[in-house]
Amino acid sequence: MPENAPTLLDLFGPVMIGPSSSHTAGVARIAYLARKILKTPLERARITFYGSLARTWKGHGSDKAAIAGLLGILPEDERLAFAPEIAQREGLEIEILSDYAGPERYHTNTVVLELEGGDERLRVRGSSIGGGEIRLKSVNGFQAELDGGLAAILVLHHDEVGVIAELASLLAAAGLNIASLASHRRDKGDEALIVAEVDGAVSSRLLEAAARIHGVLDVVHVPSIKS
Amino acid sequence: MNWKFTSSIDLLARAGDAGLGLCDYLVKRDAFYAGTSEEAIRAELARRIRITRHSLDEGMSRPQLSFSGLTVGAAHSLAASANSPVADEFFGKALVYALAVNEVNACGGKIVAFPTAGSCGIVPGVLWAWRDARSPSLGPDSRVFQDAFTMASAIGMLVAARATLAGAEGGCQAECGAAAAMAAAALSQLMGLSTEACIDAAALSLKNCLGLACDPVAGLVEVPCVKRNAFMAANAITAASLAAAGVRSAIPFDEVVGAMKSIGASMPASLKESAEGGLAVTPTGLAVAQRIR
Ligand code: SF4
Repeated sequence: MPENAPTLLDLFGPVMIGPSSSHTAGVARIAYLARKILKTPLERARITFYGSLARTWKGHGSDKAAIAGLLGILPEDERLAFAPEIAQREGLEIEILSDYAGPERYHTNTVVLELEGGDERLRVRGSSIGGGEIRLKSVNGFQAELDGGLAAILVLHHDEVGVIAELASLLAAAGLNIASLASHRRDKGDEALIVAEVDGAVSSRLLEAAARIHGVLDVVHVPSIKS
Repeated sequence: MNWKFTSSIDLLARAGDAGLGLCDYLVKRDAFYAGTSEEAIRAELARRIRITRHSLDEGMSRPQLSFSGLTVGAAHSLAASANSPVADEFFGKALVYALAVNEVNACGGKIVAFPTAGSCGIVPGVLWAWRDARSPSLGPDSRVFQDAFTMASAIGMLVAARATLAGAEGGCQAECGAAAAMAAAALSQLMGLSTEACIDAAALSLKNCLGLACDPVAGLVEVPCVKRNAFMAANAITAASLAAAGVRSAIPFDEVVGAMKSIGASMPASLKESAEGGLAVTPTGLAVAQRIR
């Protein structure tokens, strides 16, 4: 059981284009965040729906929602219904797949987005957990647990000592309160990913400073979808 | 101040400790989490209430026809019908309004998910019907009306914290069942019942929805969803009537939500939004799925 109830505006919302909060609005939000994580202009996307989403995405316009999110269109925006046409006009290559079974551990409303732009590759897995609420579960194979409520900073680094401490002091110096901080690595001594959720807006200067920390390979800013 | 709660008992205690009514406490809590003012939260609340009215007006303005052909303007038919056995204006409007809002959703129009899109007509349907039939001075900017929507949200927040609001996890008891419980509490609030009685109305309503299947035809949020919004408005009004008469729920709200959670967990996947059971696999349901593929 979660340790706290959602907020009033989480519950009374989102304002959205129908017809399904978990299969339309939630999917658009996941794709929107994924697009924000990719740093280069998007050229190609593969969208794979799992579980309940795999079975019903056609009727619920989950494809339109995912494409809308990739175009930076949020669930409240009427353009969501025309997202495939907009994507086509912009020359995006989009492939949509259904995986009816999927790994057991996946939530029943799971979507995996594989994005390409320039020489960047990104794989994001998200779950739509009801009422438009979402969780980004993994980013390029690293475990994450982001709900899009707060801005977050993802820091990819060599698994060395000191990176977390330096990042924390940078955030403190910028006056940003850390709401959550988690570090995930694939293997000892390999690369690790720090996921920090913060209260407040993240400046580009802060991101540049984080990128200069010794051992840091990449810094990504994931904005809040609620502000 | 403590902003954490996962049960109605917690919530009442937190609000009490803060010396606030439940609705003021929740608005303050949102302001705290969003790092903004209570005025900003109330302004957003008013904006969303206004959007529910836009959806309602859109749904009433012309018959809503969906791409699948499953939604064919039931709100319009019901509003125009001279054959309804319902004499009470409030009750009649609640049924029509709940349908109207949800038909707009089914047709890909703009709505406020409350708590979800498939159940978005129930609370606005009941509350706007009350306003139009009984209390015309209410509106998006009036405190009393905002508090009714907040009371509805409080019930949804508690269901989310202790169980789920996703049909895919808990069946339709988690969506339309939760929405009816929310509407029951909100209507009770508009009728001037105590906070405890509002929560009890939610318990009464939810008990009548336990185990409800989510078996949408062709996987679309249309059948049974759209008409269920009207039925659930009636469910909510029944619960508020009982609560207003002083009838208590034999099982307290938090325990009913616990029951809902365990029932949801034991329901087969075929009845949890997968479109692989129930109405979805009737001969007619399968034919619809075939036709729109
Ligand atoms: S039947 Fe399923 S899809 Fe329809 S409103 Fe209920 S939970 Fe949502």
